[in-house]
Amino acid sequence: MKKRISFFTIITFLFLGFSAYAQKSGGTLVYLVQPEPPSMASYISTSGPIGLVAPKIYEGLFDYDNDGKIIYVLAESHSVSSDGKTVTFKLRKGVKWHDGKSFTSDDVAFTVMNVLKKFHPRGPNSFREVTSIDTPDSHTAIFNLRNPAPYMLRALSAYESPIVPKHLLEGTDIKSAKLGNNPVGTGPFKFVEWKKGQYVRLDKNKNYWRPGLPYLDRVVGRFVPDASTRTAAMENGEVLYAAYNAVPNIDAVRLKERDDISVTTDGYSMINPVALIEFNAKEGPFANPAVRRAISLAIDRQFMIDNIFFGYGKPATSALSTNFKPTGLYASMPNYPARGDIASAKALLDSAGIKPDANGVRIRAILDLIPYGEDWRRAGEYLKQVLGDIGIKLELRYEDVPTWLKRIYHNYDFVMNVNYFYQLPDPVLGVHRHYGTDQIRKGTHFVNSSRYSNSELDELLASGATEANAQKRTQIYKKIQEILARDMPVVNLFELQFLTVYNTKLKGAYNSALGAYASFSEAYLD
Amino acid sequence: MNRFWGRFSKNKSAVFGLIILFLVILMAVIANWIYPDDPFRLAGKPMSSPGTNGFLLGSDTLGRDVAAGIAHGAKTSILIGLLATIAAVFIGIIFGALAGYYGGVIDDALMRVTEIFQTIPSFVFAILLVAIMKPSIEIIVIAITVVSWPAVARLVRGEFMSLKNREFVQACHTLGMNDSRIMMREILPNCLSPVIVIGSLMVATAILIESGLAFLGLGDPNIMSWGFQIGAGRTMLRSAWWVCTFPGIAILITVLAINLVGEGLNDAFNPRLRERN
Repeated sequence: MKKRISFFTIITFLFLGFSAYAQKSGGTLVYLVQPEPPSMASYISTSGPIGLVAPKIYEGLFDYDNDGKIIYVLAESHSVSSDGKTVTFKLRKGVKWHDGKSFTSDDVAFTVMNVLKKFHPRGPNSFREVTSIDTPDSHTAIFNLRNPAPYMLRALSAYESPIVPKHLLEGTDIKSAKLGNNPVGTGPFKFVEWKKGQYVRLDKNKNYWRPGLPYLDRVVGRFVPDASTRTAAMENGEVLYAAYNAVPNIDAVRLKERDDISVTTDGYSMINPVALIEFNAKEGPFANPAVRRAISLAIDRQFMIDNIFFGYGKPATSALSTNFKPTGLYASMPNYPARGDIASAKALLDSAGIKPDANGVRIRAILDLIPYGEDWRRAGEYLKQVLGDIGIKLELRYEDVPTWLKRIYHNYDFVMNVNYFYQLPDPVLGVHRHYGTDQIRKGTHFVNSSRYSNSELDELLASGATEANAQKRTQIYKKIQEILARDMPVVNLFELQFLTVYNTKLKGAYNSALGAYASFSEAYLD
Repeated sequence: MNRFWGRFSKNKSAVFGLIILFLVILMAVIANWIYPDDPFRLAGKPMSSPGTNGFLLGSDTLGRDVAAGIAHGAKTSILIGLLATIAAVFIGIIFGALAGYYGGVIDDALMRVTEIFQTIPSFVFAILLVAIMKPSIEIIVIAITVVSWPAVARLVRGEFMSLKNREFVQACHTLGMNDSRIMMREILPNCLSPVIVIGSLMVATAILIESGLAFLGLGDPNIMSWGFQIGAGRTMLRSAWWVCTFPGIAILITVLAINLVGEGLNDAFNPRLRERN
């Protein structure tokens, strides 16, 4: 066995050496940015299209590979104290901002304490335990935490927590600073020009701290508002890379058949979108957990994936996404069958004492649908049919976005709602908001609208957030998932898979878990 | 009546239209017998082509029977077309009759109101109405009514204006008949023929508006309609052409048939007009 491993290692090294040899410098990469970003200020907005551009310019302390492992970027190494309350980052030396100034630990301290913690949408949550940052020398940053915060180490990518130059932001109004549209970072590409309505152009940073990188001379993000024009641009090789379904699934499936175009679902594991049904767990027909479990049993998740999302998706098997496997937090649970089981669902309803009337109807209710396009309508139509089979007669309601948000998150005027949530790189960041009693926040979007409240679960969530020991954390989340598989205030349907369509000429752009929100530093044209 | 039918049947295409229209209505009436199940039911293998897996006209992405959808969609189309037209004609006659008969200030006031409605493009107006209210079949009927009645009002007003000074109306006045009786019993029956013609054409327009709304996703999500079928199938036109082609043909034939019938009615009511051509 040992022999074989070493043999494979040699082969792998040979290949690595080979491919390194094949990487070519030069060339321009044109890719789709859809829609046009509102600004380049990734430190105050998580808006998707900003993420497609800004991480090429700004860097984070870490990046993450496709297995979720840490890649050191601006940090050279890090260590966590045994009580989990002190995290020390050794920063890379010799890194320069695009304007020539040196990057130091002051930049990191300023970014986290004065920018991300105050102005970033998710920063206050990611860094909520950080009380202060010490900078004993210019290449050491020591984060002092109130409680251990293991999830913080999953939120240090260029997209989630970009490090920004202190000397350009200090003393300005952060929200309207000039830097917002003229980004200056440490990344592989420098911002050159943003032609509104057309493109944003970035050129190679010749003084990049990684010698020999980036390979590309120029990166151009094009804005094309019309979906079929985007597909055509991809088809005729005008653009080489299109992420986040910029090319619609239906076209991607067709383009995939060509030799020069490929499609991948990698690069979205840090976003982790999961399609689900939220229930009103407090009042109405779905307040009984047995009904919610019956619904979960009846739904054919694979059918929805195959026929509505063109095969791109993965049946949910727990309250947590399978993308949490590398961190050991995911555990497979019963009650989430991939294939629907109508008979068991009916039996469960019968045993719960919810009997059908003369017309075979047990429950009448309205199903609200997330108003984000046709796919979700189809999902609603499917659910109406399949739940009709177990005696839950649904009427569909499809409203405009503000009305819908108001209904679900302000007025709680719903009983059942189809939605999708980003679970983000750690459950504390993306999942807790859905279940905690403290997350019943009237008027805040995408939090606990079910108004499910369970003190046992609350305690587990609190300890899950602060537990530094990985094994203990695994145990805590297993219990959390067991409770959620039993009570199901939310029925997870499937993990959505966004698509990246790319021209096979483009290589080396697929190594980060952040996918399109990563840097292109190792991308090259063949 | 016989003479009317004789004039109508002289127009071959009108008779053809009538036959088609009859078939569509028949399909709507018997839809519940030939396809007793819910047309939204997942009836079998998704994306089956016509004639396979027991689907006469194929199935859509979720495995719904396209033929069942067309049969039940006929019901929706005919129902919405008739209800909206009846409501629009009713409102239009009231507005037009009052404005045309009394003239003066009443005429000015009513016609200004009518113009407000006429200046907004009707389909955009219908979208607006449905979008701000909950998309349901009642709201769609109301929206189509609201955008269609001004044309009837204009027409009726014109007829009333020209008829109110005729001798037979003046005779009614001298006999001491009250206004409402003169309007309802004497003038209205004399101007019904153009109203019937415009009404028949409005049914076709109503069907088109409903299909357009459903295509844009503004239809009642719980009711099967042709426009909905086309909207739901348009993304896979390249891989499953039958999903939107057949409902499209259904709309085309129905609207064409109604227009032919309308033209036939026009000719039959105004025989001299036809001879002039």
